Amino acid sequence: MSKFWRIAWQEYSRHVFRKRFLLALFSVPLMLAFMAVLIIVIIWSDSNPTPIGYVDQSGLLVNAIPQASAKFPERTVRMLAYPDEASARTNLDTGKIQAYYIIPKDYLPSGKVDEYYNKEPKGIATQQFNEFLTTNLLANISPHIVNRILAGSKLNVVSADKSRQTSQDQIINLILPFIAGILFIIAMSTSSGYLLQAVVEEKENRTMEIMVTSVSPNQLMSGKTIADMAVGITQLVVWAIFIVWILIIGKSYLSFLSGVTFPAQTIFMLIAVMVPAFIMISGLMATIGATVTEASEGQQIMGLFTIPIWLPYILIAVFIQNPNSPLAVAMTLFPLTAPMTIAIRMGFTTIPAWQYIASLVLLVISAVGAVWLAGRAFRLGMLRYGQRLRWKEIFSHQRA
Amino acid sequence: MPTVELSHISKSFGTLIAVDDVSFEVEKGEIFGLLGPNGAGKTTAIRVLLDIFKPDSGSVSILGGPMTEAKKDQIGYMPEERGMYQDIPLDRCLTYLGTLKGLSPAEAQSRISSYLEKFDLESSRYKKVKELSKGMQQKAQLITTLIHEPELVIIDEPFSGLDPINTQMVKDLLREQRDKGVTILMSTHQMHQVEELCDRIVLIDHGRTVLYGSLDEIRRQFSGHAVIVSTHDELPVLPGVEHVERHNSSAYRLTLSPSTTTQEILRKLVEGGVEVEQFEIAAPTLDEIFIRVVQQDDQKLGERE
Repeated sequence: MSKFWRIAWQEYSRHVFRKRFLLALFSVPLMLAFMAVLIIVIIWSDSNPTPIGYVDQSGLLVNAIPQASAKFPERTVRMLAYPDEASARTNLDTGKIQAYYIIPKDYLPSGKVDEYYNKEPKGIATQQFNEFLTTNLLANISPHIVNRILAGSKLNVVSADKSRQTSQDQIINLILPFIAGILFIIAMSTSSGYLLQAVVEEKENRTMEIMVTSVSPNQLMSGKTIADMAVGITQLVVWAIFIVWILIIGKSYLSFLSGVTFPAQTIFMLIAVMVPAFIMISGLMATIGATVTEASEGQQIMGLFTIPIWLPYILIAVFIQNPNSPLAVAMTLFPLTAPMTIAIRMGFTTIPAWQYIASLVLLVISAVGAVWLAGRAFRLGMLRYGQRLRWKEIFSHQRA
Repeated sequence: MPTVELSHISKSFGTLIAVDDVSFEVEKGEIFGLLGPNGAGKTTAIRVLLDIFKPDSGSVSILGGPMTEAKKDQIGYMPEERGMYQDIPLDRCLTYLGTLKGLSPAEAQSRISSYLEKFDLESSRYKKVKELSKGMQQKAQLITTLIHEPELVIIDEPFSGLDPINTQMVKDLLREQRDKGVTILMSTHQMHQVEELCDRIVLIDHGRTVLYGSLDEIRRQFSGHAVIVSTHDELPVLPGVEHVERHNSSAYRLTLSPSTTTQEILRKLVEGGVEVEQFEIAAPTLDEIFIRVVQQDDQKLGERE
């Protein structure tokens, strides 16, 4: 195993196999899973399977057929016919039914239905009765048409140039790139934070001289960078697997997730932006690590870079309202705000090709610049114990 | 061919000239002392030598040429700023640093075992480095310096923080390494250790070489023409003695005229009936030479400025 891999493995394993990291890694998916279970439990317990009674005076519900059964975690409510209101009332009072409806003789012309309950029915019980009524009214019509009438139309909104479209059940796809963006940036912050720590720690532990007389500065820095990026990617992959898993499971139960798709083009475009962004931020953090003398000082400066990275998230309302505003375009082009801005705009608009490409080019240039900066800061600052390296010095002609 | 060869090295940081035209050679298999007061430029010279810093001018040859990545595995370096990873167990720290010197993990493990035993650190093997005492960390640092059996060992202040027992152990270890043919460059300002261990020295002050050569030669050079005589008797006036001063309660220091030999003085003392308890050539200690040279150098610098 070459020294590069030894450094990388040491760096990777010392983060990944630490309790703190494993806790952070699994706490997010566990929290998501917990929330999903909580939602299911709340919906399930909120739905009341106690039957609903009806007194049919209109004669429309003779030989009634049941409505379609409710999807889990909702529970299907059975409809019970009563010959008269008195018997229905008795059963309501004993709690055998949760409510009863009286469908009057003149239902067809008037459309009037009376509902009686002691406690208002919760969840989708009322909705199920409406469905039951409609199903029976349409009993003689072909089931295809019945289904269509019950489900309604799916409104598909298409942009004038036909490049984009969305419909109500695909709403989730609008925010998916945004969620992916957040995940990327959290992983990026983790990685670059560790990288900053790694560089400062070599200084704090006074191991820098031992390291640079054992390996080349390139092996040292590239080993650590690759390892810390791998830590972030580990985090990202674990979270992504959980989220995709939850989405796929949720798809069959939750109507708002039913249209979820993972279009290859969007994923590719996001990754293409995130890779140079990842390298750029790592480079910047390594630079900070090389210039400061203590981890706490590094964290403070890191904060300055974190603000622009998260700024688009704070401005999300502005972007949703007008995803092509000059502000949005400017933030797409500025390398530090670009990753999150692009992730948000991708969901709500088609980013013009020139903007996307220009942003990508700027990100790649920034990434190369940040790596250069990190290398130089590292060579100049590696043996500065207790003394900060000034930015002026990095750009001066001093021989590193 | 010398193991290390520095020729006309200069290095400055901004306006501060840390090393100014320093040259010296370290021969294979010797213990060489790099001496100088605090801030003289010793550490900078070592860093230039190890290619941590690039010199502004001059050239360095180490193990027969410029520094390469492969040569790093042949060099053991113990910096003045001792550095160990504080948050991991000693065993893991030593293994990691050993593998970075080209050892396989298994090799590193077996050598660590024997060194820990030798250094009486076995019971601390799985303790975190930060839980070790300063002296223990110092010994652990020595293990990382020697574990890969380097050809050249460069040690900055090897005895700082060690008690007399461990100091003796490190001295024995350095001699043992030299006897194996290892070249040792040692930077220190503990002169008595240098007198005991070093074959040759270079003394730098204000970044410049002020003394360079074998220890014996330098001593002779500074011995002047004087003798120390221990006696309880009063000293008679002796021809050929230019100056007499008290050396301590029972001894005198006699400065001789250039034409007088020490033999003549001894004979005259015996003939004069002086009961001589001890008679020695007044060779200065390295401490004295050090102080004298550095003070002279400061004076010269003061005059020039």
